[in-house]
Amino acid sequence: MSRRDEVLEIILEALESLNQELDETERVEIGPATPLFGPDAKLDSLSLVSVIVDVETALTIRWDAPISLTDDRAMSREISPFDDVGTLTDYILELLQEISPA
Amino acid sequence: MTEAPASRPRAPLGQAPRLAGDVVVLRPLSVDDAAMTHRWRHAAKALHLNRSAATVDDQARWIAGRPGNEFNYIIEMKGGPPIGMLSLVTIDLGNRRAESARFLIGEEDAVRGAPAAVEAMNLLYELAFDRLGLERVYGVIEERNPRMIKWQKYLGMVEEGRLRQHMRMDGEFVDVVSLSLLAEEYRAVTLPRMRGLMSLGRPRADGA
Repeated sequence: MSRRDEVLEIILEALESLNQELDETERVEIGPATPLFGPDAKLDSLSLVSVIVDVETALTIRWDAPISLTDDRAMSREISPFDDVGTLTDYILELLQEISPA
Repeated sequence: MTEAPASRPRAPLGQAPRLAGDVVVLRPLSVDDAAMTHRWRHAAKALHLNRSAATVDDQARWIAGRPGNEFNYIIEMKGGPPIGMLSLVTIDLGNRRAESARFLIGEEDAVRGAPAAVEAMNLLYELAFDRLGLERVYGVIEERNPRMIKWQKYLGMVEEGRLRQHMRMDGEFVDVVSLSLLAEEYRAVTLPRMRGLMSLGRPRADGA
């Protein structure tokens, strides 16, 4: 499995876990283009934080290094890492490249 | 366990001050909000809050009867509609502590994509720690509300324990998780994380 696929799988698992906590009407459709936060996204800030915490935890365990997705660097980017699953995957791959070059 | 002696406030709290952020405003709750807040409290989103007034009239009486050691707020979008409610209760200036409570976003569609919930909580914490000089803000969350527990912990609250069968909801006793935030944790952990989340909802340099 490529590193991109591993990261994508971690994000999608976090969304699956979120869906288990939501009512049926609130559940998000899960896929590589799922919007995460913004006018088009179905997630509120509680749900977004739930996903962030689960993804950070899984990444930290998998790569044995603390990884923060919401530091100043993430928030100051022109394109938000949290626009959708794809932008978050790209951002995480950048972070991983720094701590563990592929 | 011994309850710390309740001390007299250093000064009367008076009317809850209006609090303005970038995307939301917290204005004092009034009796005129009875119908709206009654509707919110009886919606599915309020499932995890404690039992609310049965009728709008009961809700109005409840609002009118709020004690002087509470600041109760309606959250409004800046220049827009009311979207929810939030309170700082049991304010004790002698022991420099208070409880954050009754946090509810009642109009989810109106806040989609805006960091309204985070900014509302940020305004309440600014009031508590910076204006009132409190040392500790605490609260309880029903155990079946894992997203709220996770959210509050992410924003710096620390779990202190579990109060067994603390609330009775729909005839069933439920446990609550007890959490608190100290002033130094607010400044070291909460503020940076809140600023981060709030920046997610702001337009980017390209105007997106």
